Amino acid sequence: MDDRVLEIDGISKRYGQTVAVQDLTFEIHAGELFGFVGRNGAGKTTTMRIALGVLAPDAGVVRWLGAPLTFEARRRIGYMPEERGLYPKMHVAEQLAYLGELHGMADVEARQAALGWLDRFGLADRRDAELQALSLGNQQRVQLAAALVFGPDVLVLDEPFAGLDPVAVDVMADVLRERADAGAPVIFSSHELELVERLCDRVGIIDHGRMVACGTVGELRAGGLERRWLDVPAAPDPWEPGIPGVRLVQAAGARRLFELDPGVDDQALLLAALATGPVREFERVEPSLGEIFRALLEEAAA
Amino acid sequence: MNAQSSGSHRSRHLPTVVLVARREVRMRLRSRIFVGGTIVMTVLVVVGIVAASLLAGKTNPVRVGFSGGSQALERTFIASAAALGAKVTVSDIADVTAGKGQVTAGTLDVLVTGSETAPTAVAKAAIPSNVESALSLAAEAARLSDAGLSPTAVRSAMALVPVQLLQPPSAKDTQNLFASLALGILLWIALGQYGNMVAQGVVEEKATRIMEILLATIQPSRLLAGKVIGIGLVGLLQLTIVGVAALVAVHVTNVAAIPALGAVSILGDIVWFVIGFLFYATAYSAVASLVSRQEEVQSAVAPISILQIAGYLLVYAALPNPTGPLATVCSLLPPFAPILMAVRMAATDVPSWQVALAGALTVASIVGLTWLAGRIYSNAALHLGARARFMEAFRG
Repeated sequence: MDDRVLEIDGISKRYGQTVAVQDLTFEIHAGELFGFVGRNGAGKTTTMRIALGVLAPDAGVVRWLGAPLTFEARRRIGYMPEERGLYPKMHVAEQLAYLGELHGMADVEARQAALGWLDRFGLADRRDAELQALSLGNQQRVQLAAALVFGPDVLVLDEPFAGLDPVAVDVMADVLRERADAGAPVIFSSHELELVERLCDRVGIIDHGRMVACGTVGELRAGGLERRWLDVPAAPDPWEPGIPGVRLVQAAGARRLFELDPGVDDQALLLAALATGPVREFERVEPSLGEIFRALLEEAAA
Repeated sequence: MNAQSSGSHRSRHLPTVVLVARREVRMRLRSRIFVGGTIVMTVLVVVGIVAASLLAGKTNPVRVGFSGGSQALERTFIASAAALGAKVTVSDIADVTAGKGQVTAGTLDVLVTGSETAPTAVAKAAIPSNVESALSLAAEAARLSDAGLSPTAVRSAMALVPVQLLQPPSAKDTQNLFASLALGILLWIALGQYGNMVAQGVVEEKATRIMEILLATIQPSRLLAGKVIGIGLVGLLQLTIVGVAALVAVHVTNVAAIPALGAVSILGDIVWFVIGFLFYATAYSAVASLVSRQEEVQSAVAPISILQIAGYLLVYAALPNPTGPLATVCSLLPPFAPILMAVRMAATDVPSWQVALAGALTVASIVGLTWLAGRIYSNAALHLGARARFMEAFRG
């Protein structure tokens, strides 16, 4: 087992009276894509800034390779801040090479890496353009290249997909997967829940500075809502199966969607359906990450 | 060992301060503001010097024309003029009337007519007194040899009285003082300009939000030091270009004697400029990091600008009595030392312990300021939007 783990251990941060993050603990393993999800202002950016070391927590510690994050270790983290920022008047390749050198690369190596990433993002012909001459989408690609140019050990990306066209989203997703497969822990925040669900190995859901759920999407589903689609053409309308803990959510002709409380046996529902006549369809519906997210937030609010 | 990367001769790892400074230099040398600004400054300085030489004009040699018998005086006149420190050119005038016409027209300054022993000088309004004396000496020598004295006897008779000064003026003569003072004040103004440039650069990094990426990989004090050094080098380059152009213009137009500006006092001014720049640039960058928009820079740096203006005004207060208590104390204080000590050194002999103390205090405060500015910088860096308060930024 690869023991290269980025550990966020009990961090808290408040700004005056506002609690940004409260006793947050989670970890990201080598080779893992970790999706960080939460409403605006939930504490994602604060957490990522602390994980990166640009912001000091009021309490708690961030560890990498088992030791508190040092300045040298921080220099090996690729970071894409939520507030995008590069020098507008600096040439694209020159800028990437400069950042590569700041992260400890030799000059020739940095130049080559810069050109390599520009090529990868389809910007090879814009390498001597000023950054401000590029479209916003292309500037964002350069921003990602800036996080990748020095071959980081860890990637921390705040909203990397915001504002990208579908092609760029695919390129970005491929790159993140590739970096994770190469052994780097990758954490990114996003509001695109479908994308997070498709891409991430694990997901953390944060609300009001606290982690309300953390795990694989499958684990987040476990213990949550269970739903079944039933196609029962011979059943009366309305039809109540009469089983405690089973509610009708939606009806579309003969197709009906039921919600089951945790622990309720779905076979009882199937038997009740068969009692009405033929059953053409019996489908288990897994809630999407979006549905889990909304349910968790409602639960947290209650 | 990776043979491929270590085998390359051109592959280098540079310290981060050098990387930051190099970027500043490259970006600024490339900018139109730098190129245009340097050209404009150079043109202004050269035009100013040429205009001064045209207005002053008096350092041009006095043109003296000799006609008829007086032409025999030319050789002794040139020698006497040289001894008296008068710059002259001599020409033969064939026709007296035409010569007077030249004097009236201003193409000739003095016309000498008459015989060798009884010459008459014609001028438009006045003759410089040393030219008049040289002419009289030449005529007297002619009269003496006419009276039968040998050339050797004439020379000894005409020898100037040697003068012995009991209190010779120091090397820091007035011309030197004013030149050094002018240079010091010009550098002080330049220092404000470059300090503001540093402030703008700091805010640019905040406004464009690149600060967050930079701080993830570089210590704030190093980022700051690199920026200050880079802009300082650009400033020195610009000043050198303008300075060389000015020296060439002075040399060509002959408006002032260049040796009046001693190499030592120029060097002194430059060393104090560098120290002053480091002090103020660091202070400017610290206060500039409290704001996030270019429009707010001016009000943020106001306290520092006021210190600088105070230093400028103190020069005039201290100059009449450069060894008095006001001048002495203020020239030891870091915010004022770079200009006051430079001016005092030009005006008087400052005890070396005072120079050393002023230098040590200023350098120590630069080190302290760099640390303080780095701290404010990193704490205020992520504080976007509203202006950060100084104490908040200090505590973090």
